Amino acid sequence: MKDKVLAGPLGRDLDPFASDRHGLGDALTRRVNADPESVERGLAQLVLTIVELLRQLMERQALRRVDGGSLSDEQVERLGRTFMELDRRMTQLRDEFGLTEEDLNLDLGPLGRLL
Amino acid sequence: MIELLAITDDATPPEPPLVAVRSGGLSALCAPAEDAAVTADTLWRREAMLEELMEDRDLLPVRFGTRVADEAAAARAVAERRTELEAGLERVRGAVELSLRVHAPEPADAPPPEASSGSAYMHAKATRTQAAARLHEPLAGLARASVVRPAPELLRAAYLIEREAIEPFVARVRELQREHPALSLLCTGPWPPYSFAEDPS
Repeated sequence: MKDKVLAGPLGRDLDPFASDRHGLGDALTRRVNADPESVERGLAQLVLTIVELLRQLMERQALRRVDGGSLSDEQVERLGRTFMELDRRMTQLRDEFGLTEEDLNLDLGPLGRLL
Repeated sequence: MIELLAITDDATPPEPPLVAVRSGGLSALCAPAEDAAVTADTLWRREAMLEELMEDRDLLPVRFGTRVADEAAAARAVAERRTELEAGLERVRGAVELSLRVHAPEPADAPPPEASSGSAYMHAKATRTQAAARLHEPLAGLARASVVRPAPELLRAAYLIEREAIEPFVARVRELQREHPALSLLCTGPWPPYSFAEDPS
């Protein structure tokens, strides 16, 4: 295989990107692993992926409104608290099911591009 | 069973064991289907095949694992989506996909759960979005098309770049890396136009 790196970070330190290699291995084994325990985890993954998609969409919309300057400081504060709490809860649920942030990052085809 | 690798409208025959199944002006480039377990190595082998094919012709990569019974079924699959496939080939003609991933050091790379207030949280998010846009926009300007993907890192994007414009694009990435020494930019390619095989709009 030819070297596919066209431009790398200064000092060519690729460590920050290394976690993906494991992600690929996991994704490949997960596809064929259908025992009852992993079915539950798979379902949780699917549900949390959808929730995460909606959370990101709402957050993006909120950021646009904040940028637009149409919100009062109090409204921004309240929105921020809500999203902060959602973020915290998502992290908790992910941990509970042993899922990583990357696991909720399924390619949803055309839907994925909404983000 | 045969596995579909790519669609092309170029008549150059591929090297055996690959075959070209013609249907109208289009060809499905196919390989004998293997029944081995899917591993990272299988994916790289397929990638190497596609890249070799891509050197001599414009092509649309087919989704991994697309198998049909025989050559007649492959020809039917192509015929059914002729218009869409022809438009797809026009979209990627003469171009390749380059990928960009950007990691930011903590805390910009992580959601800021430790933010002291709701406003600080929103501000941190907005800063992150703007930082991603500052990298993406100048590069998107050099591309025929681009797609930003949801990702935990600061930016994950794919750009459709004319073959002759790869060098200037990579030079711009290097420039952005120098302008933002705290970030890690990784640009890879050239890849088959995976992200642009379907109409991104």
